[in-house]
Amino acid sequence: MSSLTGFRDQSFLDKISILNEVSMGKDIADLDELLDLFKNPIGDTSVDYMVVSALNGVLSSDEKSAVDLLDDDNEKIQVLCIRLCGEFKFKTATPFLLSLADKTEDPDLLFEVLVTLSKIGGDESVSLFRSNITNADDLVASMCIEVVGTFRDEESLGFLSDIVTRNNEDANYEVCDLTTWKAVEALTSIGSAASLSFIVDNLHHRNPTVRRVVTDCLTDLGAAAVPYLQKVITPDAEKDDMILAANVLGFIGDKSGLEVLMDAIDKKYSTDSSVNYAIYEAIGNIGTMQGVVSLIDGLEVDDELIILAVLTGLDRQVNSGVIKKMTEMIGQGGSQAGKIIRAVVTAKALNIFAGLYNEGKIGRFMMNAVVGSKDPEVRVAFREKLAEIGSEEATADIARLPEMEESGGKRALAVDDSKSMLALYRSILTSNGYEPSIAENGQEAYSFVEQGDEFDVVITDMNMPVMDGMELVSKLRLTDGFEEIPIIMVTTESETSQMELARKTGVTDFITKPFTPDQLKAKIAEYVS
Amino acid sequence: MTSDKGKALMKVELAKPFIKAAVDVLSMMAMITPKPGKPYVKKGKTAVGDVTGLVGITGDMNGTISITFKKSCAVTIVKNMLGDDVQDILQDVQDAVGEITNMISGQARAGLVEQGLTFSGSTPSVIMGDNHSISHMASTPIMAIPFTSEAGEFTIEFSFE
Repeated sequence: MSSLTGFRDQSFLDKISILNEVSMGKDIADLDELLDLFKNPIGDTSVDYMVVSALNGVLSSDEKSAVDLLDDDNEKIQVLCIRLCGEFKFKTATPFLLSLADKTEDPDLLFEVLVTLSKIGGDESVSLFRSNITNADDLVASMCIEVVGTFRDEESLGFLSDIVTRNNEDANYEVCDLTTWKAVEALTSIGSAASLSFIVDNLHHRNPTVRRVVTDCLTDLGAAAVPYLQKVITPDAEKDDMILAANVLGFIGDKSGLEVLMDAIDKKYSTDSSVNYAIYEAIGNIGTMQGVVSLIDGLEVDDELIILAVLTGLDRQVNSGVIKKMTEMIGQGGSQAGKIIRAVVTAKALNIFAGLYNEGKIGRFMMNAVVGSKDPEVRVAFREKLAEIGSEEATADIARLPEMEESGGKRALAVDDSKSMLALYRSILTSNGYEPSIAENGQEAYSFVEQGDEFDVVITDMNMPVMDGMELVSKLRLTDGFEEIPIIMVTTESETSQMELARKTGVTDFITKPFTPDQLKAKIAEYVS
Repeated sequence: MTSDKGKALMKVELAKPFIKAAVDVLSMMAMITPKPGKPYVKKGKTAVGDVTGLVGITGDMNGTISITFKKSCAVTIVKNMLGDDVQDILQDVQDAVGEITNMISGQARAGLVEQGLTFSGSTPSVIMGDNHSISHMASTPIMAIPFTSEAGEFTIEFSFE
């Protein structure tokens, strides 16, 4: 006889203790009474809740009863058993659940069934998930996409890539669909040559959030993504694709990526300065000895922006070899030496500075460049470094760097996820009489605004992690005092497809990378008098 | 494989109980019939509304869930809940949205327990202000579900790591 006989007549405390015992005992003899209590609740929340746990306990110890009840007329019992079969991975539930999924027209019930089948696992349900990738309910579809990814189901590839491609069409690219995010993740999990090539092809998806998801997935994939990214870094690749692929190789930070990047430099795949900038920046991010050699070669190029990227990278892995080589290069004098010295200051390459400081004349030249900088942050950084060096000469040099008086001039906000670009903006803006604030993404930039800072001009990159340029602009335009201020967006030539969207969002004007300091100054002058 | 990594743990199945709870709570308490729209993904913290209830979830997974209302929608909900008894509309909106968020979080967590997942929720905080920023805990993409209702629009956002 079940311990639940006469249950309804018991006192509250007895009810609780009986249910406790039933929960622990997991005796199938209690099932019928429990089902009755579940269908016709007592009406006391705490008791009814314990009935559910007791029922769960009893059924968890009896797979056959749980599976039989999947067919129960009572919807609540049915759902409870569906969930239970998932939680305890009752494989014998699969055939019934598959047929239920086929029959039901209720998306909520279908969702429950799919969740349970995904927990039970087994190849026999893959085709069900595959066929629901295109389900009209996006949540059902997204759930199925997750599962085919876990199953690494190559047959889903066509469906998944269609979702990503559709989200790139003229009418659909402004919002990143949930299904697209999940599809990109699933395609990455599938990990076949075809799926990964497809992911890399979407590095330049028109939606910035999708691009970010693609970048993140490839970065997480690590070394396995390198061969596919390599295919984009070729002499006839699109410039923007090369830049994005180089960025990802830098994020991945795997040595195998270094060879790809060094090859691109050695064989001069691109003459474009922003491509080469991205490549040098990525080499700097990977940071191996072999990379250092390439970086040092990069000091010989003409383009100041590239020299900046090179020095930012080199500063992180400076050693006596680097200092020796740089001493030689700068020792040869000429305009290249001047460029390098200025770039050390602009990039705030403090480790390199410390290394070169005692190299006689070179140290003096560098110190002059620091003194010549109008950027207060540069001065503060180098003062600190000099204090660390601590020699008599360094103490004397600190005296050459007086605290900057408040400029009281115009203020600019520059936003870019590249440290070297930020260093460049600082340098251009300060030499132009602006007091710069810099931020690595839109969110960081907006926090200045939230603190009540005011600016005369905002310069922002388009693609950034966390919050991209577009979102920053739309937020600024909705913020008091920022409705009208000039916002200049920095783009690459081939981002033109995005420019229309950006203008609608509220961007005042664009400047195309690469640009010279004078071009940027002129652009700012158009809007700020 | 990415599914081993944190961000892929943001499973759609976790969002479902919250969506269901939001529909249940709002139709019961505020007598409106919310209809979910097409879910999308966003980065950044910008809320697409004026009043947000935010709750942190810890347990088998960690994250934040927010529900953001347009001003007019929040006001209608409060009027539906309190009738003519509205005293100080700002204070009442703040209280009501906090309460609604709490109920949604509680009901959804009870649903998740049935799936064998245990979570506890923090006390909700309510942020008010036109076009404000909300801080989701995780740096992963945020999943957003827009809703329409006769009272106006609101959005539920999920961020799990």
